[in-house]
Amino acid sequence: MRWSELTESTRPAILAGGYALAGALAAAEIAILALALSPNVNDDYRAYYIDKTTTCLNRDAVGRYTPGRTVSFRSDGAREATTMMVCGWSGPVADGTHSLGESSRLRLALPPLRDRLRATLEMAAVIRPPQTWQRIVVSANGTEVYRGTLSGEVATTVSFVIPHAVLAGKATLDMAIDYPDGIPQSADASNIYNRAIKLRSFRLDTL
Amino acid sequence: MAVEDVARAKSGIPLTVIGVAAVPLLFLLSGIAIRYAAFASISPDPNLAAYVRAFCKWDCSWYVGISEQGYESFPIPGHSNVGRWGFFPLYPMLVAAVRTILPFSTIAIATAASLACGYLSCLVAWPLMDRNMRAYVLYCAFLLSGPFSFYFATFLTEPLFVLLTSCLFLALKRSNHLAAGLSCALLSATRVVGVLAVFAIVIRMFEEHRAKGGSFIGFPRWLLGRPDLIIAILISPAGLFAYMLYLYVTVGDGFAFIHVQRAFGRVAGNPLLFLWEGLSYHPGAGWQPTAPQWSALTAIIGLALAAVLAARRQFGAALFCAMALILPLTSNLASIVRYVVGLAPLTMLTAVLLSISKATSVAALIVFLITCYFMTVAWLGGYLALV
Repeated sequence: MRWSELTESTRPAILAGGYALAGALAAAEIAILALALSPNVNDDYRAYYIDKTTTCLNRDAVGRYTPGRTVSFRSDGAREATTMMVCGWSGPVADGTHSLGESSRLRLALPPLRDRLRATLEMAAVIRPPQTWQRIVVSANGTEVYRGTLSGEVATTVSFVIPHAVLAGKATLDMAIDYPDGIPQSADASNIYNRAIKLRSFRLDTL
Repeated sequence: MAVEDVARAKSGIPLTVIGVAAVPLLFLLSGIAIRYAAFASISPDPNLAAYVRAFCKWDCSWYVGISEQGYESFPIPGHSNVGRWGFFPLYPMLVAAVRTILPFSTIAIATAASLACGYLSCLVAWPLMDRNMRAYVLYCAFLLSGPFSFYFATFLTEPLFVLLTSCLFLALKRSNHLAAGLSCALLSATRVVGVLAVFAIVIRMFEEHRAKGGSFIGFPRWLLGRPDLIIAILISPAGLFAYMLYLYVTVGDGFAFIHVQRAFGRVAGNPLLFLWEGLSYHPGAGWQPTAPQWSALTAIIGLALAAVLAARRQFGAALFCAMALILPLTSNLASIVRYVVGLAPLTMLTAVLLSISKATSVAALIVFLITCYFMTVAWLGGYLALV
């Protein structure tokens, strides 16, 4: 039935019903919009998807590791290395595990420790002349433990001490590497594709 | 006319009706045959199951995943950043519903459903093209046996999107606003840009108001006095809102379909710059345009066709098509060829323009059928512009 075909007697009832339905639709849509505008998500989701303050989406990956062993981050060590990678990595491939984005994270379960650890990482910078270096900032369990620069394409061995204070009472070591000079894929590409380093191997020793 | 009279007298069905139903059926079958020939030319094992699977590329696998496993919650299993949330649910839901009845694989059901949607889209287009048989033949050929017919022969949202868009504009043509609103609601659950069709509905209402002598300023008042029109407008985004509610319940974020674009590396930018960059992406060697150049060129043709729609006073369709192209262009040129082909008002207009003379119609028809083969080979080969 068309609107113009409504009779005078039925018009008020249909009008009222129509407005009620329209009101219900509007109310439902406003309510859904309000819910959508206040997402109920955790900090990791918010940081990566909504605020875009990180390119590294934190996940529950935890690798097993015993100090004193070198883990290869090339193809040959893929099985062990992959379990340690939380986010911000691509690979492993033949020349190592490539970083992706503005930071990368490794997480590993450690046996109880009574002293400091020495970390030894072999890595190479991703360069695109004229930029021939990459600065890296390494944090362990949220505390900065190393700041340095990788130059040229040749792999460099970086070694630093992780104080016992950042490990005490912690069952895991959460290592974050930030890349202030990551190279974007192209001028308008997303920063989640930035390239900075190739990690070749990882080792921890108790001191 | 005498033949038509005889046919009508004998069967009771006008010859035109038979023609309208037979033309898309013919092109549906020829399209299957041409695409199979293209598939067989490059496949070592050209059996039917492999044929159906071979067309499932790019976004198709996402829709298969949604249809079979639904959407993920967060955290996404497998330590992935990329959830299925960016892909809208209506078409995978329909395929999943059919799969509960029929004992076939998801991709087989989706392929049959896509072909059916393509066929029905043609039937709905007949009254929209003012019963112009030459244009109708070209439109059917383009959709079902044309260079981009593979989009309508696999699990992508374009077949359903074109069908629903056609239903919406037919409802508007018949001033059935509620049917248009319901079509828009389904469109908004099919692809995010589907919700933009609500502007076409409002424009149509405004045109009707003006045709009755109403003033520009008096339109809101007139609209408020018509609850049926208000319902038609408010029901239009219902599919989108239903999906947002679902995402809020499962992921905790009603806008997850937008936010997940970050994991696909999409960055908002200026559509004009993306178009310029696409056009400037010259081939390293040879003369053949690069994939970005094809994409940019197709987007420009799509926008130009939208302008032609506006010039022909089809303002609602023009605005819908322009917005449905500009919105994805704000991230980059990816999939823009598919988006242009999936806008029914643009392809119908193209068919009408090409049918201006018998010669152009025949030439276009031949080009459609020949390019169907080669473009299918390109699609199966993973050519980037067709993503």
